Amino acid sequence: MTPELIYGLTGIAVFGAGLAGSLGAQDRLRRVLALKLASVGACFLLIVAAWREPPAAPDPVPHALVITGIVVMVSATAVALALIRRLHTLEAEDDAD
Amino acid sequence: MTDPFVLFDLLLGLAIVALAGAVLCVRDLFAAIVLFVVFGLFSALAWVRLSAPDVALAEAAIGTGVTGALLLKTLHHLRQSPAKAGAAPLPVPMPVIWANAAFCGLITLGLAAALVGAPAGGPGFDALVAEAMPQSGVAHPVTAVLLNFRAYDTLMEVVVLLAAVIAVWQIERGLSDAPSPALGEVWEGFARLVLPAIVVVGTYLLWKGAEAPGGAFQGGAVLAAVGLLLLLTRLYVPRPSHRGIARWAFVLGTGAFAAVALLVAGGGRVAFQYPLEHAKTLILLIEALVTISIAVTLAALFHGREPVAQPARRDSHDA
Amino acid sequence: MQTDPMTLTLFVPLFGAIAAFVLPRAASVIGPFSVLATGAAVALLAREVLAAGAVTVSLGGWAPPLGIALRADGLSVAMLAMTAAVGLLVSLGALDALRDARQRQYFWPLWLLLLTGMNGVYLGTDIFNLYVMIEVIALAAVGLTVLSGTTAALRAGLEYMYASILGALLFLTGVGFVYLQIGRLDFAGLIAAEPSGALSAALALMLVGLLLKTALFPLHFWLPAAHANATAPASALLSGLVVKAALYIFLRLATYMPPPDEMLVTLIGTLGAGAVIWGGIQALRAERLKMLVAWSTVVQIGLIFIAFARAGQIGLAESWKAAAVLILAHGIAKAAMFLAAGRIKDEVGHDVIRDLDRSAIRPTLAQFTFALAAISLIGLPPSLGFIGKWSLMEGALAAGYWHWVAVTMVGTLMSVAYFSRVLAAFLRFDRVRAPVGEHQGWALADAAPLTLALSAITLGLMAAPILSFIELGYPFGATP
Repeated sequence: MTPELIYGLTGIAVFGAGLAGSLGAQDRLRRVLALKLASVGACFLLIVAAWREPPAAPDPVPHALVITGIVVMVSATAVALALIRRLHTLEAEDDAD
Repeated sequence: MTDPFVLFDLLLGLAIVALAGAVLCVRDLFAAIVLFVVFGLFSALAWVRLSAPDVALAEAAIGTGVTGALLLKTLHHLRQSPAKAGAAPLPVPMPVIWANAAFCGLITLGLAAALVGAPAGGPGFDALVAEAMPQSGVAHPVTAVLLNFRAYDTLMEVVVLLAAVIAVWQIERGLSDAPSPALGEVWEGFARLVLPAIVVVGTYLLWKGAEAPGGAFQGGAVLAAVGLLLLLTRLYVPRPSHRGIARWAFVLGTGAFAAVALLVAGGGRVAFQYPLEHAKTLILLIEALVTISIAVTLAALFHGREPVAQPARRDSHDA
Repeated sequence: MQTDPMTLTLFVPLFGAIAAFVLPRAASVIGPFSVLATGAAVALLAREVLAAGAVTVSLGGWAPPLGIALRADGLSVAMLAMTAAVGLLVSLGALDALRDARQRQYFWPLWLLLLTGMNGVYLGTDIFNLYVMIEVIALAAVGLTVLSGTTAALRAGLEYMYASILGALLFLTGVGFVYLQIGRLDFAGLIAAEPSGALSAALALMLVGLLLKTALFPLHFWLPAAHANATAPASALLSGLVVKAALYIFLRLATYMPPPDEMLVTLIGTLGAGAVIWGGIQALRAERLKMLVAWSTVVQIGLIFIAFARAGQIGLAESWKAAAVLILAHGIAKAAMFLAAGRIKDEVGHDVIRDLDRSAIRPTLAQFTFALAAISLIGLPPSLGFIGKWSLMEGALAAGYWHWVAVTMVGTLMSVAYFSRVLAAFLRFDRVRAPVGEHQGWALADAAPLTLALSAITLGLMAAPILSFIELGYPFGATP
């Protein structure tokens, strides 16, 4: 039972959960959360793949890739949330009319 | 050494999966976001166990910290306007939920099988990185990969941030005249104490990135916290006249990175090929400018709007 | 500082985007000039590729797999050229079509960032690099989709965002599995890899992610609303160029990775057939002009996938050419059509198809452009669309796959039907007894789509040189 196996399965389970949530979610914010979960799952996969049995150092390239992935994901999340806020404002106005 | 930690790993792994499920199933959205933040921090912990401290730092600061702040702000915005009639989302019919769960369950099982079947501790870039490190100009492998070997990817990552802030500014605009969220004086006092400390920590993270886990993104995210605090406590209120400076701050990192990449080309070198004797300087310069950009961009993404004076006919909505 | 044309095609639009963003008042000038400069860089690159076959540059001096390399072969340059040319004409059309100052201010930085991302995709050889480029494209595209600011556009933009993120995540997970299995991320590594469970999982994930982004039936749900509700220049870019980037990656991956088996190819073809039929039905039912044009994109994407699958797995070495020609034809014609539809909507005031002939205003030039673009999309000679369809059917017949030919014919008939709905609305003069307001003189917003539509038709005459060009550098069948 190496850490990589445990966390690898964790990551895939989280990815699956996020996938299920994004396909079946009821409201907009929840879908964003689900997609974030799935992205963390994908990151787990890369980090697990980079892990080497100690005392060997892990492969640094997937770590760099995951950092890039996290920043990209926060950018996408920010845009999605801005869209949600703006839609909410417009819909509230439409209802008020 | 591994034996006692196996139990820890198992428990942590289970906790992470349980939290992920909870995020999706909890009724209250606020609780879901809080659980998501806990999930993110536990994931960061798991990544420390997997010898990935840089990534853990990035996830804690950006993936969980900034994202959590964005989510909470959006929730606040959604809750401010009165709920419309019929706004409660139609509950998804049970068969659909089961079909969805079954489908995703199958995919998960398939992926797990693929994972288990793949070579453990398999081939990678280890040897190539070790070989190339002396010419990279920095001592920390992850920084070397991010800012030298695969600098093109990192440039594009900063471009993604720029694209996000341009899109967000285009989507929402307005000045926030509404009263600030009730943070009060104790909070303001705390902010005045903690802001300088945050600046020190953020700069330290940036500086240390050349030799140890850290770097522009982690440092930039911590510095963004300064921006978030200033915005939340209204010590800084964005005004339309600040837009010009803000725009320059957003593009500073991308522009400098791209300019350096092009300027080193020539005389037999291609783009991004830093001359060996200047590599460290160039990398630190790029990192510093990118850090500033990241901090300002993340804070602007949190603020979420272009500060433009709106015509008076519309009631300004929230902060 | 001297640098090669490939790097320039990436950096020129990037710097243009930065300049257009920090100098918003000059954006309308900076924008078209940047696109023109990018086109010049592409022309230089084309010259190099003609001379030397494939051209490669390893960025940072680090060779793959550690570093990232850019590679331009015939297919890449063809896609780059289409993007630059269509982009330039759409830019010219946008100068006139965008009324709102704010829209003008934001269109240019977003479009130039989109251009950077697309150029990066066409030159990329590293799958993680492609992931980041996909995200650049996605964010810029969503920004363009919601440029008009209407509630419908925002809703469509949000759906597009969700689909985009999901597709990108599936792709990223695929990248993770590829790394897990072979420890490298470049195309050369994929070609040399042996089939395995993890690689099949990776291929499946990446392909589904790409299919989601290229809107192949049944993953097309986000496209019609997004493209129909965007402003005309944005729709032209989205339908003409953005969906092609994911398609291009699909073409590369499906050929470089361990060979997809016959079942997979047939599945892809069947989904394409579904797109043609379902899209055709929805186009026949569409009430608004832009919605009809958007559904036509769904149909054409399906057609491109049928072209890819036309001769089964064995024919993949040649089928990609038919797909590539259709991609080029659709990019040009669809951009023209969306620009024309935008002009019609501006002039007449609405785009409800049934009522188009009730207006006294006849934007004749835009209608003419629309008709020309329709000719290419239907696939009548001598247009490039005809060459593509002909190539598709020829290959399918040679391999004995009658079903693809049948579906293509049905699709063509349906496209005649739904385009005729629109063209008939243009031609019925008897509905309104008023002096017919002829189009007043030339407008830049008309010249651009007209040029595009004429190109779509006349490029068919240049099919042979185009086909031989895209084969330069052996895009498939040899290591890049």
